[in-house]
Amino acid sequence: MNLRAVKASFKQQAIQFAADPQWIIPSIVSPFLFTMVMLYIYQDVTGPIVLQAVLGGGVLGMWANTLFASSFTISYDRMNGTFESMILSPTKVFDVLIGRSIWNAFIGLVNALLVFFIAELIFQTDITLANPIGFFLTLTLTLMSLASFGMLISTAFVFSRMGRFFSSVAEYPIYMVSGALVPVSALPQGLQYVSFALAPSWGVDAIKYTALEGYGGTMGVSLLTDIAMLAVLSAAVLVMAYYIMNGAESAILSAGSAERY
Amino acid sequence: MRCPPASRPSDTVRRIQNRFNLNERFAAVTGMEYAIVAEDLTRTYKSFVPGSPVKAAVDGISLAVRRGEIYGILGPNGAGKTTTIKMLSTLLTPTSGLAEVLGLNVYDKKNIRTLRKRINVVSGGERGLYYRLSGRQNLEFFAELYGIPKKEQKTRIDELLSLVELTEAADIKVENYSRGMKQRIHIARSLINSPEILFLDEPTIGLDPEISQGIRSLIKKLSDGGTTIILTTHYMFEAEELCDNMIILSHGTIVGKGTVEDIKSTISGVSSMRIVTEKDPSDAAAVMICQKKLDVSTSRLLNEKYLTKIIMNNAEEEFAVIEESFRPYKIISIGVEEPTLEDAYLTLVSEG
Repeated sequence: MNLRAVKASFKQQAIQFAADPQWIIPSIVSPFLFTMVMLYIYQDVTGPIVLQAVLGGGVLGMWANTLFASSFTISYDRMNGTFESMILSPTKVFDVLIGRSIWNAFIGLVNALLVFFIAELIFQTDITLANPIGFFLTLTLTLMSLASFGMLISTAFVFSRMGRFFSSVAEYPIYMVSGALVPVSALPQGLQYVSFALAPSWGVDAIKYTALEGYGGTMGVSLLTDIAMLAVLSAAVLVMAYYIMNGAESAILSAGSAERY
Repeated sequence: MRCPPASRPSDTVRRIQNRFNLNERFAAVTGMEYAIVAEDLTRTYKSFVPGSPVKAAVDGISLAVRRGEIYGILGPNGAGKTTTIKMLSTLLTPTSGLAEVLGLNVYDKKNIRTLRKRINVVSGGERGLYYRLSGRQNLEFFAELYGIPKKEQKTRIDELLSLVELTEAADIKVENYSRGMKQRIHIARSLINSPEILFLDEPTIGLDPEISQGIRSLIKKLSDGGTTIILTTHYMFEAEELCDNMIILSHGTIVGKGTVEDIKSTISGVSSMRIVTEKDPSDAAAVMICQKKLDVSTSRLLNEKYLTKIIMNNAEEEFAVIEESFRPYKIISIGVEEPTLEDAYLTLVSEG
């Protein structure tokens, strides 16, 4: 891996973010809306369910942000005509995407924390975490798993400018099957198998272990099982993204489609 | 005793034999060192209409570019210029044929990243830059992608900004640049890795004469410094001013090749007649085109006069006939000139 390219891409994404007002929508407006919707739904409920609702809002915000940022990353290059220059450089596109995905993950984390602040400060929800340090760690790991998913989605944009259709259909299924909206155990049996195959579902379960007092788990038998599955599945997605990305680079050289938008 | 017949290498074996040392074979024959050698380079695209034949964007072109020269690729829109540049710069895989750039087979995957460190491309137009980043930030980003050592980066970026006269605008966002400034920062970006070969795809398209002249001076300066330049352009004067050698493409094939003089000599005996008339001679021009099969173009001048340009294959025979045909339109001036590169280009392209 070309670490300098990773660092440069991280920096470039940060500058783009700071310079572009459109990021206010996924990073500030949408977490606010998610939290508000969740809290209005559960306004007559007290206890851990409220926290569960806020957690759900946080994960939804993280996923929306990751998805938007990952989709935007390559489609923006295609639109600007910089994708061809990037392909022409000796650096692999995968390395550029890693740097950008790390930035996106960082912003996703800020996004999730914003959800908690909004819940606590604006809606005066009582948020008491069972294990604050563990919570922060599992939140970060879950975010990394979402970022690896984002990498996979970015590969669709390397293949084709039509990747946006893929990213559009990826948004709501993840909300459902990750356990962010409803517990995985409440899903039909077939969908539960899909949840087990997705790293974010294990991440959401791990977050609940650290946030909710006395949580028994709906995915793994313990917090460690959740974290292990989260790590293994995220790594698998990352490896898959790497190979697909290399294949995508060859495919666009064959098709001559790097300049298309 | 009869000797057994020598075994004939299969097509595959011959292709593999050819694949290697293409550059060396050219060098051995010509005694020159080549930056680019291509043989029978072809690129076809599938038609979107089911059942239609594949379309050849580039159809079996061969060329050899010497190190340090400015090599022009001319041709009308859709002739295959950009496709050729993309194939030679690793951005497009050819359907068949061979290409060696700086002695490396372009389509051997092992070579691609090595080669990309040593070449670069500039495309005409406004795309290809991060608009929300400043000129300097764009250069810094690409410097990292090319692995330019940190210690060298600042100096090199400052030098490039100075070369393209953008030092003062270096920290302004690219979205605020004029078109000419964008094209200059494009060139600076393409020089970030000090490329041995620079591919310039219509670098002066849409720019005003002053900026275009500046870019042409820069191209000359780079060539004088030893950079091999591959230039596509629609402007014949630009090709004439810059190119040491060139090819003219039409429908994906080479219809002309050599120096400017070589290209002009392909239409020796052909001359160009310019007639200025008071009245619109379009009717007479149409007759020239239909009956005499001559290449005729008429344009209206700002002073309400009409300029007609006719390419004549035999001036002695055709002059009198043409003059006679145009007399009713009140000839103001008439003259015959030696063919220009543009005349040769138009003749070759129309024949191709």
